[in-house]
Amino acid sequence: MDNHHSQNGAVYSTEQKNHRDAKKPKLTHFISDSELRHEFSHHQTGVARINNGSFGSCPRSVLAAQNSWQLSFLQQPDDFFFNKLRNGILDSRLIIKDLINADDVEDISLVDNATTAAAIVLQQIGRNFASGEFCKNDTVIIFHCAYQAVKKSIEAYVTSVGGSVIEVQLPFPVNSNEEIITEFKKGLERGKVNGGRVRLAIIDHITSMPSVVIPVRELIRVCREEEVDQVFVDGAHAIGSLKVDVKEIGADFYVSNLYKWLFSPPSVAFMYCDKKVENVHHPVVAHEYGKGLAAESAWVGMRDYSPQLVVPTILEFVNRFEGGIDGIMKRNHEMVVKMGIMLKEAWGTNLGSPPEMCASMIMVGLPSKLRVMSDDDALRLRFYLRVYHAIEVPVYYQGLRNGERVPRDKDGFITGYVRISHQVYNTVEDYDRLKTAIIQLLEDGKVCSELPKE
Amino acid sequence: MAFHDQNHKNGNLSKKPKLCISPITDAEIQSEFSHHDPNIARLNNGAFGCCPSSVLAAQHELQLKFLRQPDHFYFNYLKKGILHSRTIIKELVNAQHLDEISIVDNASTATTIVLQQASWAFHEGKFNKGDAVVMLHYAYGSVKKAIEAYVTRAGGRVIEVPLAFPVNSEDDIIREFRHALEKAKSEGSNTKVRLAVIDHVTSMPSMVIPVKELVKICREEGVEQVFVDAAHAIGCTPRVDMQEIGADFYASNMHKWFFCPPSVAFIYARKSVNSVDLHHPIVSHQYRNGLAIESSWIGNRDYSSQLVVPAVMEFVNRFEGGIEGIKKRNHDCVVEMGEMLVEAWGTHLGTPHHMSASMVMVGLPPSLRIMNDCDAINLRTHLREFFGVEVPIYFRDGGEVGCVSGYARISYQVYNKVDDYYKFRDAINKLVSDGFTCALLSTSTNGSLLY
Repeated sequence: MDNHHSQNGAVYSTEQKNHRDAKKPKLTHFISDSELRHEFSHHQTGVARINNGSFGSCPRSVLAAQNSWQLSFLQQPDDFFFNKLRNGILDSRLIIKDLINADDVEDISLVDNATTAAAIVLQQIGRNFASGEFCKNDTVIIFHCAYQAVKKSIEAYVTSVGGSVIEVQLPFPVNSNEEIITEFKKGLERGKVNGGRVRLAIIDHITSMPSVVIPVRELIRVCREEEVDQVFVDGAHAIGSLKVDVKEIGADFYVSNLYKWLFSPPSVAFMYCDKKVENVHHPVVAHEYGKGLAAESAWVGMRDYSPQLVVPTILEFVNRFEGGIDGIMKRNHEMVVKMGIMLKEAWGTNLGSPPEMCASMIMVGLPSKLRVMSDDDALRLRFYLRVYHAIEVPVYYQGLRNGERVPRDKDGFITGYVRISHQVYNTVEDYDRLKTAIIQLLEDGKVCSELPKE
Repeated sequence: MAFHDQNHKNGNLSKKPKLCISPITDAEIQSEFSHHDPNIARLNNGAFGCCPSSVLAAQHELQLKFLRQPDHFYFNYLKKGILHSRTIIKELVNAQHLDEISIVDNASTATTIVLQQASWAFHEGKFNKGDAVVMLHYAYGSVKKAIEAYVTRAGGRVIEVPLAFPVNSEDDIIREFRHALEKAKSEGSNTKVRLAVIDHVTSMPSMVIPVKELVKICREEGVEQVFVDAAHAIGCTPRVDMQEIGADFYASNMHKWFFCPPSVAFIYARKSVNSVDLHHPIVSHQYRNGLAIESSWIGNRDYSSQLVVPAVMEFVNRFEGGIEGIKKRNHDCVVEMGEMLVEAWGTHLGTPHHMSASMVMVGLPPSLRIMNDCDAINLRTHLREFFGVEVPIYFRDGGEVGCVSGYARISYQVYNKVDDYYKFRDAINKLVSDGFTCALLSTSTNGSLLY
């Protein structure tokens, strides 16, 4: 943890404007640097792990709690099932409910991941197309950079039964929320051509690649004005990254993974469904079918439910930091922006979005001399950085599009970006290493297509 | 029946290595299961299974590997590991093609996959409204719900094959099944039986179903697809052989009787001219790359339980006769314990020996007066809390007063000891001699028909 974040010895402040979770115990000190290092000592040493966004991270104390639950099951599984599991899941859901400002715990279900939530929402849409309740001209609207798994799910459940999809281009690099809102409105217009209705809008809260924070509240307001039936916010990265207030956001469905930015083990996500939503059920039908999504999701057949049970321990963990989860989010954001700026200045490039449109991740332009000219080039660079420099960072290729102002550096068009993350375990050295590795490549005169393939 | 030594048709990966060291000892077995609560007579392996410490250790290693460097794990290890597990399973069950084997969480997921396909067929008009799906009366509760969700809602008709319990012979089942199919065909003039869902081992009451014969009848009667729900089968029943059984789809949990951690199951889908497209309901990047590949990535999660199948093979091969030896000894012991109990209580077994695998239904003394499902659940709770015995109880409706109305489903797995069953015997004897009846128990708030 970076030095200017440690606040050892400070008395814990009781004024926490944004905290909605359970009252925190009075701490006499916050987590120290060495305690923090210990919590993540299972991470591979020597690796600059700047890709928290993909697979997240889980501290030792939460893993220990998970082990405890697993052992409880192994010792006496019947007793675990009858006497511990249900209440454990309820406890976790109650904490989530407070964290996201939902009114009723019944609106909160725990599922494996955002991909599962997408299947649940899209199956419901698919059933309506198949039954004829929706007609062929009706559409589902998404961003073009929606997560690939979500797009596949749309193919499986919507286009296969005659529904159509409208893709909204996400301007990237992006300069303001207005640019996104304008594109979205145009997309909605296209969706209503031929008299069709827009039945579902899928809006990322934070897109994956390229990563940008989307102005969801504004977009949902537009959706309601334009009579879009339902809105599903794919907040896969959101919780633990930025504030999530489901009442304020106003979506019909909201999902976020807990294992990305909220320190849970793989894998668990929460899914919020507004009260007026009907006709959703978990695709894996088991004993609790028909009792509501929350009950159904709490038993999808025999499996290891331990990731769903550790949310109370996660809360204890984040409350060891100054400001709790809000403090963590604030510091992650400040650091990732600071590191992003440091890198872009060292490389003479740009940021993919202004600081206020990112949370704990930011896109940093790669020097054009590296010639990232394809997805394949991006993968080669990622592989090269992992194997030769022990740096873990995803690389994004942004193709040139006609008619758009493409950013340039002194040598040409910027077509490649790295998505850097900052989580509590990161140090400045992680980003310095990336800075140096790229500079070294430039000095060696290497381009991506020359790099070894995996 | 089939508990005689059989030719092991399986290939290299599951072949028992030449043992230069002696087989696993009793003490080693107890050590492998030392995490089990020592105060409980654990007679319910059928519900949640068990996992030895050496396999748990292997799983832990894999979990740590992921946590250490997840990107590296994902790119360089995960796919290979799942492929290895699938290859072992293919040989274990004598499938012909590796593509036919997919790994999923559990039998519930496998059931969803098969039934979702049927649902689509109804929607697309491939199946007509009113076409039938056949299932056994003792099909698992959640399978019945899945049929309701995916078949009834899509316009299909459901036919239940009545089964008697106690059961005396396989012929009874075969006769009922054939009769039900004939009736289905005669009832609707143009309706067809599109799918038969047949348990290999029913859950409650538990009996081994003659699946090979029933699949043959299905073929004779023109049933389009046969799905064998074999949740318990692998590691429990003999002859889990896809060529011999001949079903289109076959699914079994590996965490019940095959020592895997929770949870992992395989689904077999026969490759044939009439193959249908199966899809995992959780659609991700691998959509349309075949069920096996789809199932290998359904979003980020802990896949470690799917990766320890090699470690499980090492474990079972420490036993004399490998998994076949384990199955045979489990069967012999559970039957022996069942007979011991019925003799002690003056009752009877619910199934003949050859229709029990590693579980057997043991009649409980009528004086306990188990009058309904609630009583069965409450008695189970009472046995757990007051006697330290874990065993599921089944209420059999329709008996006369004074007859056996409740059966305990006892399991036998390698960690069990004779004392476990004596403990159960003595607990029931005490209840009987105390004049206990189920009416004395308050309504359970934890009521659930989960076995």
